[in-house]
Amino acid sequence: MQGLTLRMDDFLRRVLGPSGRAGPPVSRGALAATVLIAGPLYGAVMGSYAFSSAERLLMVLYAAIKMPVLIFGTGALCLPGFFVLSTVLGLRDDLGRSLRAIFSGQAALVLVLASLAPITRFVYTCGIGHSGAILFNAAMFTVATLAAQVVLWRLYRPLVQRDRRHLAMLWAWLLLYAFVGMQMGWMLRPFVGSPDQAVTFFREEPFSNAYEVIARMIVGR
Amino acid sequence: MERTSWIGQLDGLLRGQRTTGSALRAGIIDVPLRVFVPLAVLLGGSYGFFMGWFALSMRDSEHRMEAMKQLAASTVKLPMLFLLTLFVTFPSLYVFNALVGCRLGFKSALRLLVAAIVVNLAVGASLGPILAFFTLSTKSYAFMVLLNVVLLAIAGCVGLGFLLRTLRRIEAEAREEALQKAQLEETFSDEVEEPAPLGQQMASKLTAMKPPVRAEVESGAANGIFQIWVIIYALVGAQMSWLLRPFIGNPAMEFTLFRHRDGNFFSSVIDHIGKLFGM
Repeated sequence: MQGLTLRMDDFLRRVLGPSGRAGPPVSRGALAATVLIAGPLYGAVMGSYAFSSAERLLMVLYAAIKMPVLIFGTGALCLPGFFVLSTVLGLRDDLGRSLRAIFSGQAALVLVLASLAPITRFVYTCGIGHSGAILFNAAMFTVATLAAQVVLWRLYRPLVQRDRRHLAMLWAWLLLYAFVGMQMGWMLRPFVGSPDQAVTFFREEPFSNAYEVIARMIVGR
Repeated sequence: MERTSWIGQLDGLLRGQRTTGSALRAGIIDVPLRVFVPLAVLLGGSYGFFMGWFALSMRDSEHRMEAMKQLAASTVKLPMLFLLTLFVTFPSLYVFNALVGCRLGFKSALRLLVAAIVVNLAVGASLGPILAFFTLSTKSYAFMVLLNVVLLAIAGCVGLGFLLRTLRRIEAEAREEALQKAQLEETFSDEVEEPAPLGQQMASKLTAMKPPVRAEVESGAANGIFQIWVIIYALVGAQMSWLLRPFIGNPAMEFTLFRHRDGNFFSSVIDHIGKLFGM
């Protein structure tokens, strides 16, 4: 048990801590495995809102599946663009390091989310409303995203110091990822699931566009 | 001659290996048209293919045939847009190149412009999966028009960046070459100061052969030609895109290969922004 704790401690320090201080960096495979394990963990807790019937257990499963789909799906759509842009900017030789920084950021996101899962479950138990649960999860995602940004920028710093073009590439990645990720999240909803509605993997209504909805909300139509 | 696959050659171009200082110094832009023009067609076709998906996703099974036609038309039209614009503008681009004092020859200028188009379309094709994703999840035609404008604008900016970088490199190489030539000649003239008829003859010949360095590589030529090229190409390109429309295919309209020639590109973009906000 102690060995496991030590190994976990070592792993967390290598993913989340300043690079070079806690041993060699984690492999990309291990980072992907982290997303596959820690992502569903938070997803399951997120979907565990309002156990009014046995059917609601399905929501736990659905939300657990959706988390890595959200992260990997968004990444897979953005990677071709990132690859070509990096090549054109003359940063292909550093692609391995850039990708490691990006994967580390994603692993950090799910690790922080997983660590916040008990708090989310606790808040659900306290009897929060559906809208409140959605807002709370949004807050947890914000915290985890900030932590992921710290890891990402920390790993990118030496690259940027070596070549300023990495900064442009990092911003390009963040903008692309946020743009696609928002629509991916919108398509994959519900993650929490309203207790008044039947449990479904996707909403029964046809797919719609998140930005169109926002545009209409701004204009008020 | 080194045989490299098309992908390898494209990779070399994207990495900037085909427009390095040493190649440019030798006056070569290593972009064989027989490879890079088909590559432009392929890359443009793949972006056009993703663009045409919207027609497929929006039309019911009764109109599937029309959607397939739109898909095929978009796949063909997108590379056509870039190559036809180049065809129309190249004579003027080449003449302005000479006027501004850039030293690119006819073939080199053509190769450089094709290279910039390939870079542009490669970036566009790499953003294709994002376009396909939004196509599958969006019913709004206005959003898709604007998304395409944004994605192609990103790709265009990268293509322009490549063009400007290469032009500046050419200018720097030419300046260095001119400097070396001048130094060499100075040394040679010193050596032939003695009244040696043969040496004098050679010196005068060299002077006659000496290119008008200042005129050939005028300072700021790269920026000048770049600005002129961009203005000409962008204006003609925007109008060409208007002429070749529809690219996406408005689901509320019947399929046509080309639409009536009214309005223009810029007023249409402003119109679609208004539609997205429900105005």
